[in-house]
Amino acid sequence: MKLTVWGARGSVPAPGPEMNRYGGNTSCVELTLSDGETLILDAGTGIRNLGVKLAASMPKINILLTHLHLDHIQGLMFFPPCFQADSKITIWGPSSPEATLENRIARYISAPLSPVEVRELPCEVSFRDAPVTEWEIGSATIRAEAVTHRGPTLGYRISDGDETLCYIPDHEPALGAPLDDLEPEWISGHDLACGADMLLHDCQYTDEEYPAHVGWGHSRLTDTLTFARRVETERLMLFHHDPLHSDAFLDSFADTAAQRWEQLGGDPQKLELAAERSAAEVSSAGLAAARP
Amino acid sequence: MDSAQKPLELILARNLITSLSTPAFLVGEDGALLFYNEAAGALLGMSFEESGRMAAHEWLATFGPFDEFGQPIAVDDLPLTRSLRDGRPAHAEFCIRSTKGTEHSIEASALPIVGAGSASSGAMIIFWPVDEQERRRVATAT
Repeated sequence: MKLTVWGARGSVPAPGPEMNRYGGNTSCVELTLSDGETLILDAGTGIRNLGVKLAASMPKINILLTHLHLDHIQGLMFFPPCFQADSKITIWGPSSPEATLENRIARYISAPLSPVEVRELPCEVSFRDAPVTEWEIGSATIRAEAVTHRGPTLGYRISDGDETLCYIPDHEPALGAPLDDLEPEWISGHDLACGADMLLHDCQYTDEEYPAHVGWGHSRLTDTLTFARRVETERLMLFHHDPLHSDAFLDSFADTAAQRWEQLGGDPQKLELAAERSAAEVSSAGLAAARP
Repeated sequence: MDSAQKPLELILARNLITSLSTPAFLVGEDGALLFYNEAAGALLGMSFEESGRMAAHEWLATFGPFDEFGQPIAVDDLPLTRSLRDGRPAHAEFCIRSTKGTEHSIEASALPIVGAGSASSGAMIIFWPVDEQERRRVATAT
């Protein structure tokens, strides 16, 4: 599998010259499977640039939404394939007893927030609740599980051959529970991420920032690293950067994270911060970074 | 003992009761004791770290719910069982015995925990020690 990050920012887009290297677009990751099919993880503003690339060549598209907070769906309305009649788009997301996935997304893609309605999109679009059991798309086997965040939120485990990626961009597994002491079955997302070759995980806050944001649904560095060690992931990519964190800040944060990761027994070469337009190969023998 | 990943609603319930100073239990859909908090441990005379998880018959035998006449309460009549069986909240007053032999009158409320798939995951039981003197005063006054 090959992944490309199109948006790694959390909460709200953060454009600006001081954000150029890590990028200001919100969550979106392109995953190219071994059979050539593409999965899109989340539809934050990063999906717009991805869509420009895909528009001419990708009539069949699967988008896996972790949840429906705006930073994960805002790009949908600006995703070029949505406006192509020959596009077939399937959007997967968390179920809710309150309304269908389509109706919940339509609250955004409808007046007065949007100039178009879902039913007016020229593409063929369908909405599917993520199944409670594993399912397959192309060469990938996908599992979705609810994880600790605010509102119904999924994490995804995607296996392709013997390679496994786990994507949990919004997650606060340590809320009210010290991760060091818990048995694995009591850790949100543990089974989903256990033994994954690569884990993309929320790390929005520094340890110093976190006390003012407890319960907001995101992780601090210590908890992200502890979670990654508990699930014994091969490689860790820190994701969902706080919109206030500039490139310079994130560079420093990356150094701190690498040192802490090494202290916990991890390989600092196998930890990185997600950066927009960066690409990487997920492999069962570890991950070879391949920045463009 | 089953060690499969717990559903998120049970994980969050455990996190919640960990933070409470009110004694509280968490049980699985089969009534097995999954966790209780420090306040419950103080009342029961044994911390959860000491007791660990217990099957339903084990913890019922250990803490022995009984009525005001000292008679064991039928399992089917306990709020926990009613809550799991009926999918409704249930409340009752009864006595328990700590591992140190101390008896406590308690009021207990059981709330069913139903996840996103509408499947029962278990129940959360919160209990309050009943002040005997206050109960006698109220009974006398009425």
